Amino acid sequence: MIDLQERFLERRSFIYRLFIVYILFGFLLLLILYQTFQLQIANYTEYELAALENKTHEMNIQPTRGLIYDRDGKILVKNIPTFNLISIPNKINDPKLFIQNIKSFIELSKDEELIFYEKFRSKARFNRELVVKTNLTTQQIARFEVRKHNLPNVLVEKRYSRYSDYPKLLSHVLGYIGSPSEGELTSILSEAIHPRQETIFSYSNGFIVGKSGIERTFDDTLRGEFGEKVYEVDARGKLLDEISLKSPKEGESIFTSLDLGSHVAANNALKGRRGAVVAIDIDNGGIVTLFSSPSFSINDLSNGISRNEFDILINDPNKPFFNRALKGRYPPASTIKPALGIFGLQNNLVDWNYSIQDPGFFTLPEDGRVYRGWKKGGHGQVDLEKAIIVSSNTYFFSLAYRSNIEELSNHLAKLGFGKKVCSDCFDEDKGLIPNPQWKRNKLNSGWARGDTVNLGVGQGYMVATPIQLAYYSSVLAKKGFANELSLVQTPEKKTKDVNLANFSPIDWEKLHQSMTDVINSPIGTSRRLKDLSSFQVAAKSGTAELVSLDSKEDYLLIRENEAQRDHAIMIAFGPMPKPKYAVSVVIENGESGGAVAGPVAIAVLKELVE
Amino acid sequence: MRFMKFKRFDFFYDPYLLFSIILLSVVGLVVLFSASQGDLNIIIKQSIFVFFGIFLMICVSQPDPAFYKNLSALFLVISIILVILTILFGNEVNGAKRWLDLGFFSLQPSELIKIALPIYLSAYLYDKSLPINLKHTFISLIIIGISFRLIVFQPDLGTSIVVLLAGFYVLFLAGLSWKFIGSTIAIFILSLPFLWNNLLAPFQRQRIATFLNPDADPFGTGWNITQSKIAIGSGGFFGKGYGSGSQAHLDFLPETKTDFIFAVIAEEFGFIGTLILFAIYTFILLRCFYLSFNARDRFCRLTIGGLSLVFITTILVNLGMVVGILPVVGMPLPFISMGGSSLLSFYIAFGIIISMASHKKLIRQ
Repeated sequence: MIDLQERFLERRSFIYRLFIVYILFGFLLLLILYQTFQLQIANYTEYELAALENKTHEMNIQPTRGLIYDRDGKILVKNIPTFNLISIPNKINDPKLFIQNIKSFIELSKDEELIFYEKFRSKARFNRELVVKTNLTTQQIARFEVRKHNLPNVLVEKRYSRYSDYPKLLSHVLGYIGSPSEGELTSILSEAIHPRQETIFSYSNGFIVGKSGIERTFDDTLRGEFGEKVYEVDARGKLLDEISLKSPKEGESIFTSLDLGSHVAANNALKGRRGAVVAIDIDNGGIVTLFSSPSFSINDLSNGISRNEFDILINDPNKPFFNRALKGRYPPASTIKPALGIFGLQNNLVDWNYSIQDPGFFTLPEDGRVYRGWKKGGHGQVDLEKAIIVSSNTYFFSLAYRSNIEELSNHLAKLGFGKKVCSDCFDEDKGLIPNPQWKRNKLNSGWARGDTVNLGVGQGYMVATPIQLAYYSSVLAKKGFANELSLVQTPEKKTKDVNLANFSPIDWEKLHQSMTDVINSPIGTSRRLKDLSSFQVAAKSGTAELVSLDSKEDYLLIRENEAQRDHAIMIAFGPMPKPKYAVSVVIENGESGGAVAGPVAIAVLKELVE
Repeated sequence: MRFMKFKRFDFFYDPYLLFSIILLSVVGLVVLFSASQGDLNIIIKQSIFVFFGIFLMICVSQPDPAFYKNLSALFLVISIILVILTILFGNEVNGAKRWLDLGFFSLQPSELIKIALPIYLSAYLYDKSLPINLKHTFISLIIIGISFRLIVFQPDLGTSIVVLLAGFYVLFLAGLSWKFIGSTIAIFILSLPFLWNNLLAPFQRQRIATFLNPDADPFGTGWNITQSKIAIGSGGFFGKGYGSGSQAHLDFLPETKTDFIFAVIAEEFGFIGTLILFAIYTFILLRCFYLSFNARDRFCRLTIGGLSLVFITTILVNLGMVVGILPVVGMPLPFISMGGSSLLSFYIAFGIIISMASHKKLIRQ
């Protein structure tokens, strides 16, 4: 029985040891159960979300852009569907071989090849698509379809292009679109539901953003909102079923105040010369014409242009990209004279009966310096009315000589000079009204009486843009009232008083009469325009001198160089006596305001009025 | 069976183990059907294994335990030869030679060793005086060491550790002195850096490093653990429903049919499913505990104890890996994971346990 005793002890030891291990493993099993509980119960929501995120793949859908209309409802910019050959550079190993392969069944132009090579690397790096050829014909599509099983890195898709039927007529005001910068892209995509996901494009060019003009200022409105397509995906990222679709919200259309016909008229009248035409609907401040010449095709800019073509445009000495209507800085020249007249009457420096003898020049009493008029021998006895009609420099030299420069520059600011006058124009220049403080800061010299005298005829340091001249013209037309200028039709447009104190309705009548007589009077500077329109037009011409000269003979010398010739300027409004439109015209180096810029102004007014 | 008389055609079985193992096998087939995305070829093949395995288990439980005591050395030698053959001629998969191609089925002999080793050690220690002396301890350790080293050659980290443990379990249960155990553990801990540098293949080191910090590399080697946790967690309390686990069906979860099949259960049947699975396993283990407690002799006691500890170790290593508290090592979930060798080994193991349970009274007479 010793054996039995031993057996009992052995069994007890065994059970004891097995029990220890079981307890240990039971504890481990509980630990695993606890971990499962943590995963399934305690942190369920977190893991449920993670599983959902795993199996879904969101893609943004690019919205189509709103259209741009003119004031009569004519479409200025639209989206046209095109069939494009689209490559996926990320999947192309040898771009040269790829292009050769494509060329074996679809002809590519030199430019198309060039654009492809230019953009290939960056598109491959960011895994974006690259358009090889736009506007495929049905024949080309058919030729592709036959071969597409061999071409995993290229596809044909319907994509939109931004397109204008008048690509060169409204280039500067409408603007063009282009690829956004990285910063712009981040900002655009921040409005999408899943900013970092890939995008299903609606446009040939992929992401687009307004780069200039209305396309730029109203980019937010035109853009629309990204839609979203959600796919179920497997672990390899392969798209399985479409789970949900939120259609993109199309961009809102812009109804502009622009008038297509007036642009046609301005273009025809300018005949490609360097210059600008701006016209304003006096009733509401709507800009009906904003034309700058020469121009470029926004369709080319928006839909892809080769480096070469772009270089030609950017190196053109006539600067077609330069928006002269908003950014051209020109001396207002004689067109400033009505403003001076108003200032003289307000400040009792002159009245309608006051007259001076015009010998053809003004001598500065301080140093005897001579300021010449445009007509040798002068205009004889001139009062304010005649001074405007014949554009007497001597009269306004003497008026300016007696003016306080601070008050005069404040007065000019009220009329829209030296500041932005348009609420929604792209990149507008402020122009410049000089004053003593400006001259000290900028040129580090004191203000001279001669500077004020020069300002009297809109020469010297002062510069104004065509849109400022048009605004000034509209204030004159509306007898001291004005609307902030705008490119879009908005229902509430507040007309504000420019606050020209001490200037009566009778004064306005007389001023309008003088400006009408610039054309109507047999001695008016622009009398040759009289027969061009069936209605009466009030106007003031100007000829901006670019080089300060002592005599006509000297001008004939510098005239040899076209870039030194005078700018031709005209402001006008009509039909009189109840004007509806105000217009400004600048023709660079056009020489005579009345003779050269005048007919352009009349042509545009005629188109608008009739 | 208690009063069952010996008859020539007596049928020996343990209703509790038989029922619970068949239940587990059925659960395994059902889950595998979902995990394999309804692949009928896989299901048919696995069903054949299950039916054959259950048949084998019942057959194995018929002879008297003495039969296994006598044959245990042969069983171990055959297993070791098969492992050597595998190292020499086995199919190489992912740099590891674990499978011996038998034409109709790829055998993984290392799975056999984890059964054969504890049975042999139990038989070896059956008639030795206890507590076992140094000489027998040394001989046992050499046998364990050879088995372990061979599997490390393959290399198969998970199985080799289980084999090592299987041998130690038997020695421990047989009454290895605490002093010896203590010093062994101390030596093991001190030699860990050496083992890390010399014994482990780079991919095994990578796995352990990943386990220690899975978030450092969520799309590399940590991917498996991360996706497994998402699968389990997203199952919630009631699960997503049979066949509706997105993690399993959209291939986010790796190795759904084999090592990570528990994640499929947890995802589709939720915490409830987890509890039921744990309950079945616990029931089997408690039954084994009871049986070893009442075993007829030392051989049976050590064998049942040793095999049941191998069984629970396999479960713990697999589940611990799937829930992310142990490193990723290849280890199937017993009776659930697809794969023949492990399945057949456990059917054989439980066949022997049932034999020991049901032949108890016989000796008394």
